[in-house]
Amino acid sequence: MVEKISFTMNGKPVTVETDPEMMVLDVIRELLNLTGTKHGCDNSTCGTCTIVVNGKAIKSCNLPLKKIAGAEVLTIEGLAKGTQLHPVQKAISESGAIQCGFCTPGIVMELYGLLEEKPDASQAELENALNKHLCRCTGYEPIRDGALMAQKLIQERK
Amino acid sequence: MKFKYLGKSYNRPDAINKVTGKAVYLDDLRIPGMLHAAILRPEFAHAEILNIDTSEAETMPGVVKVVTGKDCHYHYGDNIKDLVPMAVDKVRYIGEPVAAAIADTLPHAQAAIEKIKVSYKPLPVYVDARDAMKKDAVLIHKENGEYWHLPTIKATPGTNIAHTYHLKKGAGVDGFKDAEVIIEAEFNYPHGSCTAIEPHGSIVWFKEDNTIEVWSSSICPFIIREDLAHSYGLPVSDVRVRIPDIGGCFGYKSDITVEQTVAWIASFVPGYPVKWVATRQEDFTSTLIAHGIRSRIKVGARKDGKLVAIQNEVIHSGGAYADTAVNITIAATHNCTGPYEFENCDLTGYTVYTNTPAVGAYRGYGHQEAQIAIERMMDLLARKLNMDPIRLREMNYLTEGKVNALGERMWKSHGDILTCSNIVKEKVFTKAKPQEDENYYYGRGFAAAMKSPKGAPFSTKGCYMKMNIDGSVSVSMGGAEVGQGLRTVVRQVAAEALMIPPEKIRVYNEIDTQYSPYEWQTIGSMFTTQGGRAIIRAANRLIAVLKNNAAQVLKTDVDYLEYDGEYVYLRNDPDIRVAVADLSRGYITLDGITIGEYAHAVSDARLPRYANPDENGQGSLGVNYTFGATAAEIRIEKKTGKIIVDKFTSVFDVGQVINPRQIRGSVLGGVTMAVGAALYEKLDIDAEGRINNPHMFKYHIPTYKEAIPMDIEFIETPDAVGPFGARGIGEHSVIGPAPAILNAIYDAVGVDFYEIPVTPDVMKKALEARQEN
Repeated sequence: MVEKISFTMNGKPVTVETDPEMMVLDVIRELLNLTGTKHGCDNSTCGTCTIVVNGKAIKSCNLPLKKIAGAEVLTIEGLAKGTQLHPVQKAISESGAIQCGFCTPGIVMELYGLLEEKPDASQAELENALNKHLCRCTGYEPIRDGALMAQKLIQERK
Repeated sequence: MKFKYLGKSYNRPDAINKVTGKAVYLDDLRIPGMLHAAILRPEFAHAEILNIDTSEAETMPGVVKVVTGKDCHYHYGDNIKDLVPMAVDKVRYIGEPVAAAIADTLPHAQAAIEKIKVSYKPLPVYVDARDAMKKDAVLIHKENGEYWHLPTIKATPGTNIAHTYHLKKGAGVDGFKDAEVIIEAEFNYPHGSCTAIEPHGSIVWFKEDNTIEVWSSSICPFIIREDLAHSYGLPVSDVRVRIPDIGGCFGYKSDITVEQTVAWIASFVPGYPVKWVATRQEDFTSTLIAHGIRSRIKVGARKDGKLVAIQNEVIHSGGAYADTAVNITIAATHNCTGPYEFENCDLTGYTVYTNTPAVGAYRGYGHQEAQIAIERMMDLLARKLNMDPIRLREMNYLTEGKVNALGERMWKSHGDILTCSNIVKEKVFTKAKPQEDENYYYGRGFAAAMKSPKGAPFSTKGCYMKMNIDGSVSVSMGGAEVGQGLRTVVRQVAAEALMIPPEKIRVYNEIDTQYSPYEWQTIGSMFTTQGGRAIIRAANRLIAVLKNNAAQVLKTDVDYLEYDGEYVYLRNDPDIRVAVADLSRGYITLDGITIGEYAHAVSDARLPRYANPDENGQGSLGVNYTFGATAAEIRIEKKTGKIIVDKFTSVFDVGQVINPRQIRGSVLGGVTMAVGAALYEKLDIDAEGRINNPHMFKYHIPTYKEAIPMDIEFIETPDAVGPFGARGIGEHSVIGPAPAILNAIYDAVGVDFYEIPVTPDVMKKALEARQEN
């Protein structure tokens, strides 16, 4: 069964013609060739496939395509404006939060989803958001540092 | 010594690529004409294959080819050639490749393997070396002993023992006659998984011109190249291996893992690149697993605490193929003394075939698995001697002039374990421990650590450095960036060596065996040490070229010249000088004639005098050591048995800190992994050899909310080999946590554990048993 499904990807309208049950992660990576969003596990555990749909961070590996019809979708490729990084990207790239980098896109999108909507997110909200992501490299301390730095940059921007 | 570019937290050169999603990992590669493979795994962990029927699978949509191991006549491996790319007539573990489908899309390939029918005759399954070693055990490899192997490997034909390593120092077991106190115990470090967030994957392309191209998520491109060339009868130069960014390794992407299997599959469709990426389940069941090391250890001491003898049997459940496990057994065996001097050692390590995935490297490479035993033994011995456990250790540390189990005399440049130990003692053990309260017991435990590299005599790391026309420099090496931050290290060390700012140094992204200098593989926490030495050597050669060019321009002899990164100048009159940038492509005179050489240099570095073991298992197998001390401060929740690490303290003598933020990051990550092993992680392998938790939601690795507060400090006794005195630190932080935590549990509740993980259930049962007594 093939359907035409339209949505906005990183600000541009797109239409794909495929199985509406196909997972958004596969649509993004295999049909749209946006490989910044990663495939780490197969069951919504590691969080590296996180994208932002209508402003909310969500894991894309168990999200069927039909659920994003008409939605505004943002992936890691959509955050920087040219060489100007989004504050979350700037903070995460400077705090030591990156080692192998494989969990990074998901964590950046998670923080983007949270902090763009709630620049004053509480510590508990930050913890709950970041607890959806596995990182095997950093021991998480530099990710927390990066999240707090990102929050500060976003608060100061407004 | 004051350095200009070392000891500063420069940002990683790959940070922007990684934070914008532009870093390219294996699964992100799309090669024109690429096909996809899916691999069928067996229903049994040990069985003869009676028949494989691929006829229905071949008719499935999109299928190009269905492949089995039938007619595969070659074995591969670097230590023992006991590996096959796909099962031929029997399967030896639950994740073994049995057949594969190649199709236009991955879903088509996956659907096709469902239709492959295999009939098996099940055989007895051994998941524990102790069972596989029994006299009447069925042989997992009837060919054991017949496979090609390195001369240092000693198989016992007719058994499942793939290798026995024996070390005798001093009087060996006879040394116990000088002991006044002897204690014995048995410890177990069970099978685990590296669980990098990026699964394994490879693309292999047999081209029509009889060359092979490979891309892989691996840290050993040059081994893959040599191995495939050997298996397919090609000159090594006709195999090209490229390594994109790697999403974490921690050991299990070292040695050759999945590449030979993907190559076997791809060899059936010449002309087409074939991609295979592990599912998360396959990453657990069909790549390398970790540990599986049991120690039966005996330690003898005098009443004053002086250690005199150690005996240990290291029994290593090595998995279905022993090629990758044998060196871990060896490292575990000779490093099982930990950082202590024993005059007499009798140490035996057995690598045993079992029906699990092959055991391979895991950050620490045998050290944590063996040193959990010795660090617990030090506490047990101190208790028996009625001594303070840290005082007992202080009396026996491998300090300058002491001789380790291998017979290597410790140099001052190996580092100062006593100072590390003193700092930890001061930080953790001079204050009062929290008192037991309504909800928690409190405890703290100490563990020291020693790490040697486990290399190979030919292990080397190359560096290729070229200066560009503006004086900027491009550096290429064969070291794999797995997240440890070696690109930052290369940049900072090269900057220091060339006396130019790091901003003018561009470090390689991809490794390509066609262009990158040779490196054996990026293992053993040796990149900074060996690679850094290679950078310095290359920099010195490059500076020599610049000086030679300048000598012609300035019309003088080279030995009158100095170099400062910007100019080459006459020592007695610095105004007589020529800019480095003007010398980089040779010097172009006013009339356009170019004199001198293009400024580039290549170099490499090995450990000095690294040797094979002698008949007593002794020799310079370590050469380079890093020592440290650690402590765990824990809380045990009475109601649940849950152990919370309130703080973990690590102090290492790293010789010279290159990048403070990165080195802290390395220890943060290592401690977190090892706390995971101590408290949560264990592959649940049942008696049938099935792995029951091959998913991240079942195999629990530490999460954000389980992050551990850490106190991390470094001291700097310069190393003799590494660049500017720096030595390795990548693996060392994983050694201390398990024994420190087990020692802390005893301190908290008086219960001795000899095995990890101590999950809440295990702890709770122990607390209940303690109350019953």
